[in-house]
Amino acid sequence: METQSRRKFLGSCLVGTAIAAVAAALYPLYRYLAPSQSGTGTAKVTFAATEVPEGEAKFFEYAGSTGVVVRTKGGLIALSAVCTHLGCIVQWEKDKQDFLCPCHAGRYTPEGTVISGPPPRPLPKLPLTQAEGKIIIG
Amino acid sequence: MSLFKKIYHWIDVRIGSTEIVEKELTGYLLPKNINEWYSLGSVLLVIFALQVVTGMLLLVYYVPDADKAFKSVTYIMNEVPFGWLIRLCHAVGSNLMVFVLMLHMLSTLLMGSYKSPREMNWISGFVLFSLVQGISLTGYLAPWSQLSFWATTVATNSVTAVPLIGTGLVKFLRGGTLVGPATLGRFFALHVAIIPAVIAALIGAHLFFLKRTGVSTPPFGAKETQNNWEGKSYRYEFHPGGIPFFPNYALQDATSVSIYLAIFFALIFFAPTLFFTPDSFVPANPFKTPAHIKPEWYFLANYQTLKIFPSELIGLLVQVAAMTVLALLPFIDRTKERHPLKRPIFLTCAIGGILLWLGLTIWGHYS
Ligand code: HEM
Ligand code: FES
Repeated sequence: METQSRRKFLGSCLVGTAIAAVAAALYPLYRYLAPSQSGTGTAKVTFAATEVPEGEAKFFEYAGSTGVVVRTKGGLIALSAVCTHLGCIVQWEKDKQDFLCPCHAGRYTPEGTVISGPPPRPLPKLPLTQAEGKIIIG
Repeated sequence: MSLFKKIYHWIDVRIGSTEIVEKELTGYLLPKNINEWYSLGSVLLVIFALQVVTGMLLLVYYVPDADKAFKSVTYIMNEVPFGWLIRLCHAVGSNLMVFVLMLHMLSTLLMGSYKSPREMNWISGFVLFSLVQGISLTGYLAPWSQLSFWATTVATNSVTAVPLIGTGLVKFLRGGTLVGPATLGRFFALHVAIIPAVIAALIGAHLFFLKRTGVSTPPFGAKETQNNWEGKSYRYEFHPGGIPFFPNYALQDATSVSIYLAIFFALIFFAPTLFFTPDSFVPANPFKTPAHIKPEWYFLANYQTLKIFPSELIGLLVQVAAMTVLALLPFIDRTKERHPLKRPIFLTCAIGGILLWLGLTIWGHYS
């Protein structure tokens, strides 16, 4: 009985040490491989209003993803450019004045509303402000 | 029956794992007087595995391009979380691997285990040693620091001493007249793909030879220290009444690996710059040779030998001769006695050789 419990105790010490060693190896490994946090922040994006003439669109990087600004007759709109179907980046069709997703032909209005195709939801809007001839996203 | 036992049973009835365990682990008997030195091979397997894993991890961020390599290594060291740990494990590990290889060689040398019928074990081990030196030399260029660049320049330059084809050979090695981006390309391929694959294959061969011949009986603690194999037909060296590999010797292996890891991590945490010189923190500049460029410690003896002879060719030939003698030792030393103290001529030569190597290394360090 005595030796039995001693054996058990030493056994659990060994298993405990082994688990601690594995954890000590896995934590640095996880941190080493985890994606870096830079580039996913919500830093504001600013550019001159003249960069987006009427009927045109401008794509930009925003919060680690892609956004787009269009100027229609109705004014300026900023949207996420990531298609809500399977995540391709939509294209601006100047002649038709709408967004086309080339992956599965999803179509959106300049406001982001789905016209046709598989996308289940409209394109999310991004916060946009204008000041002193500048467009500020975020 | 616990779940674990059920799974084990399920596998066992299919592939006969109990039989393997009995034959290769608990029933694999080793000489009663086996000693600690026989565990160095297992330590080396662990080191190699660690080099492969840390090397693969470095590949995640390292960029093998002359314009980006140094920056990428700096990024690993300073920005990537625990990047310093992975890189130091790889760099310190490579140095310790050479050191442990030397101990392993030395132990088989002094215990006479290279002798017939284990010539193939010795030769495959000798080639492994050369390949590990090769993988270290090619890896040394990878960070593209001043040290990398100029150490590679000097090392490849010694090949010019080869008569007639020397200059052409250096150009071929470097992929150009001087060390440059082309050198990084070929050294990188050698370092991460070609040499590791050959090393892995040779480790397989080394273990296969061991498995077929059987572990040698150490010359210490036994009355009979002669090797009585006649060399006429194949014979596996059994050790009836010996100690089982598992659990007995596996525990010795685990102890040696733990001691190794303790030293390894102590160096990484408390002497992280031991194997680096200030030149390894400066990006390579092909127009500016730093003062006192030296190879790594295990090449210092070779470096000093090249320097002391008036002609580089003689210096090179002396080294080739020494290496050839060492490689072919089992064919030169053909006596059957294995106890070092009963082989005075051998022991004198061995100690002389080691002292010569140490002397040249120290001289090379201070010259
Ligand atoms: C027995 C095996 C190995 C040895 C002895 C070895 C040795 C070395 C050495 C001496 C360096 C230069 C270290 C420094 O100063 O930073 C290095 C760097 C490097 N090695 Fe290895 N290596 C081995 C295996 C591998 C393997 C298998 C891979 C990949 C599959 C690899 C990938 C790398 C990379 C990417 C670098 C550059 C990063 C750095 O400098 O830290 N190595 N290696
Ligand atoms: S991903 Fe855009 S339509 Fe399928």
